[in-house]
Amino acid sequence: MKPHNPNRIRPTLLVGLILAGIWLAVIIVFAVFAPIMGFLPDPGRFSLNVNQGPSWGAWFGTDEIGRDLFARVVWGSRLSLLIALISTAFGTIVGGFLGLLAGYFKGWIDDFISGTVNIMLSLPALIFALLLVTILEQNLRNVTIAVSLLSTPAVARIVRAQTLRIASRGYVEVAQSIGATRLRIIFREILPNILPVVLSLCFIAFGIVIVAEGSLSFIGKSVPSPSITWGSLLASGRGKLEDAPHLTIYPALIIFLTLLSVNYAGNVLLNRASRN
Amino acid sequence: MSQLSTFIGKRLLWLTSIVVVVTFITFWLLNLLPGDPCTLSSGSGATEENLARCRDNLKLGSNLFVRYFDWLTDCLTGDFGESYRNGIEVSTILAQKLPATSWLILYTMVLTLLISIPLGTIAAYRRNSWVDSTISTTSFGMLSIPAFVLGSIMVLVFSVQFKWFPLGGYVGPTENLIEHWKSLFLPALTLALGSAPIYVQLLRADMVENLEENFTAAVRAKGLPTRKLIFRHLLRPSSFTLVTLAGINAAQLINATVVVEFIFNVAGVGSFLIDSVFAQDYLVVQTITALIATAFVVLNALVDAIYLVLDPRVRTRKLT
Repeated sequence: MKPHNPNRIRPTLLVGLILAGIWLAVIIVFAVFAPIMGFLPDPGRFSLNVNQGPSWGAWFGTDEIGRDLFARVVWGSRLSLLIALISTAFGTIVGGFLGLLAGYFKGWIDDFISGTVNIMLSLPALIFALLLVTILEQNLRNVTIAVSLLSTPAVARIVRAQTLRIASRGYVEVAQSIGATRLRIIFREILPNILPVVLSLCFIAFGIVIVAEGSLSFIGKSVPSPSITWGSLLASGRGKLEDAPHLTIYPALIIFLTLLSVNYAGNVLLNRASRN
Repeated sequence: MSQLSTFIGKRLLWLTSIVVVVTFITFWLLNLLPGDPCTLSSGSGATEENLARCRDNLKLGSNLFVRYFDWLTDCLTGDFGESYRNGIEVSTILAQKLPATSWLILYTMVLTLLISIPLGTIAAYRRNSWVDSTISTTSFGMLSIPAFVLGSIMVLVFSVQFKWFPLGGYVGPTENLIEHWKSLFLPALTLALGSAPIYVQLLRADMVENLEENFTAAVRAKGLPTRKLIFRHLLRPSSFTLVTLAGINAAQLINATVVVEFIFNVAGVGSFLIDSVFAQDYLVVQTITALIATAFVVLNALVDAIYLVLDPRVRTRKLT
């Protein structure tokens, strides 16, 4: 019998990871190449097939003025994913950096960063995002900033805990004893070791941001119309539940599958990364 | 005992400082607005005299900290100011909106426990069986459905297709109790299904641990039936993490309540907040945000205290 290899991912988990990866790859390809593939939010010509259910011509059906819902969902994913990507990058880099500082330097730096993070985590963040978007102008930049504030503290907290763990390891002490500079220790000893955790946190942060932006745009406080996002598509289906339930079902399904994929990937990778 | 009072004193100090910081941030954010609240509220037809009086009322001439302090003392005495839109006192409006939100949150908690206690218990008792994995998988799936998606689907299925529940709106319990329950059932279920998965996972983990404890073996050896074992001896020690979680989860719950009230047109604080956001009624938005943040911080402290009471082990661990 072969010895058990703890680094191997169980086959069922692997299948899930691959499925999640395929789904994410597909939506990203569609979002990026939407203009080339001919999925435009507004075809310019109005079809007579208003509020029609799914068909070969329109996979997700059509909306109240005959626009193809599939094309609109693809188009909406461009903004939703763009905001999510930027916010995730921001949250991971800033949150990761703060967590690293707090975990490595400890003392008052840690007190200050952890205090701020705890306050931020202990507040109903969506309401603050709503307040921010109301006060600042309602545009792509400000929405991105507002939702970034949600993912940053979560990342910071976990990265701090990981840094604390790694910093107490023998090899860090050895590096210190041979006179390595702090910068070198942070970037050559600690960072590579917490990187797997940080990368798996990206997926989880991505999920948080998708939900936050979706909620804002569902309320009507994300990037203003005529721009569309997944949340605003779902919101525009609200009044037509009777005649056109597909306007609600398909955007909901797409959001669900995307969140399921990032959450799944994030959880499996995080479990694996924090075990080592 | 003096240890305990220092502990409480420290917590209270921490609590107060957070509330001050948080309310100050809300207050300060509002100052970032272009123009001042008076020009915003009076509209284009305002005379210079009116504007001057209004500015005088709000003490716009003095510095930020002075105004913050005035605002805070006003709030502490229950004077939240007036809505720009119609001049009605914010406290009066809040008193009207609070019951719907409170009922909604209460029902949500009840439903969450009704869903998660049986499921968490079964999953733990039949751990690693198909029942357990079905519950875990479903919970994980539920976590990927945000409130605004789940709420929309609920309306579509139960209100539009089956017509079991009204499309939205809120009925007070004194008007018609059955209609009251009907009006809040779907919103509460939406919120409960959002938090239940986390509760299920935690309860399962705690319970699995307790099932392996010596006292479980002892109780079993005495021949107590399973049902009694679970309800009399396992549920209490397994619920500590759950209580803490309830506090942490409150932030999520408050976020989701705002969205859910919006979806189901429940006339509560959340939908009032969104209305005010759209009407650019900044003072109301500021007040509600500050109130929610404060309520939230206080709630968390209370949960900490309950935890202290429930589990004697934590008492000594936290104090020393």
